Amino acid sequence: MSGIETVKIIVDAEKEAAKIVEDGQKRATEIRKRLKSLIQEQREQMLKSARKEAASIVESAEKEGKAEAENYGKGSQDEIRMVVSKALTKKDEAVNRLVNIVLEGKA
Amino acid sequence: MSETAKFTADILTVAKEKAQSMTSQAEAETQRALKEAKADMTREADDMIRNARAEAEGVKRRQISEVRHRIKLQEQQEKSKILADVLERTRKRIIDITNDESKYVPYLASMIESGIREIGLDNVVVHLNAGDLKRIDKGRLEREVTRKLDKSVKMEWAKDPVDTLGGAMVSSKDGKTRIPNTLDQRFEALEPKLLIEAGKVLFGN
Repeated sequence: MSGIETVKIIVDAEKEAAKIVEDGQKRATEIRKRLKSLIQEQREQMLKSARKEAASIVESAEKEGKAEAENYGKGSQDEIRMVVSKALTKKDEAVNRLVNIVLEGKA
Repeated sequence: MSETAKFTADILTVAKEKAQSMTSQAEAETQRALKEAKADMTREADDMIRNARAEAEGVKRRQISEVRHRIKLQEQQEKSKILADVLERTRKRIIDITNDESKYVPYLASMIESGIREIGLDNVVVHLNAGDLKRIDKGRLEREVTRKLDKSVKMEWAKDPVDTLGGAMVSSKDGKTRIPNTLDQRFEALEPKLLIEAGKVLFGN
């Protein structure tokens, strides 16, 4: 093999090596470039799921709160009706007591 | 293998190793960054859920509290209505009593007696409402008052009537000192007590 041939072989090998390194660099750049969109994608997915869960928590609470409030309201309405009905039966007694207080005039 | 072939093979091996190292490093960096990002996004998502739970608690509390407030208000309104009615009936009953002379005159005498004791004078003017001025036997009333006072006090009957449901106002002769002992004044002065007492009877356990 002549010296020129040897040099050519080495130059070709250097060229191939440079191409291999360049390809490696491109792959690395590609991987880094993908990172941003990957993070963005995962973040959006996770937050979307969290938002859904959060909305469901609030919605459930609204329903529960409404139901509890209705129950409380019903119970309290019954209580008020009872208080009013009991008070109505005692009106005369109350009037008698007040009349006596006014006539006696003791503050 | 010739020296040249060995040399070129070495060049290519080094290049492949370098390319592999660059790729591996990028992948490692990516994994690290992804892990950190995941930790951040998990925190963000957890915060979102935590805030939602707090909001949910608030929503429930607010709904219950609104109903409680509405019910309380309704209860107060119902009670106020009954109390107002009882006060009104009391007033009417007292008017009825003032129309029944046999019941009213002893009370009127007591009111005048209490006014005279309070003013502490031996010479007083007694003011009545127009109805009482006309219909009440003042001689009988004066005797009743004197009997209650257990001493003699000179009573004059004012000609001008006072605007009241009943009772009397006792004043000095010059009119400078006045002791109002009318049913209206009693009603007004006693209203807080009347409301409390009515409340006890109507809504007490």
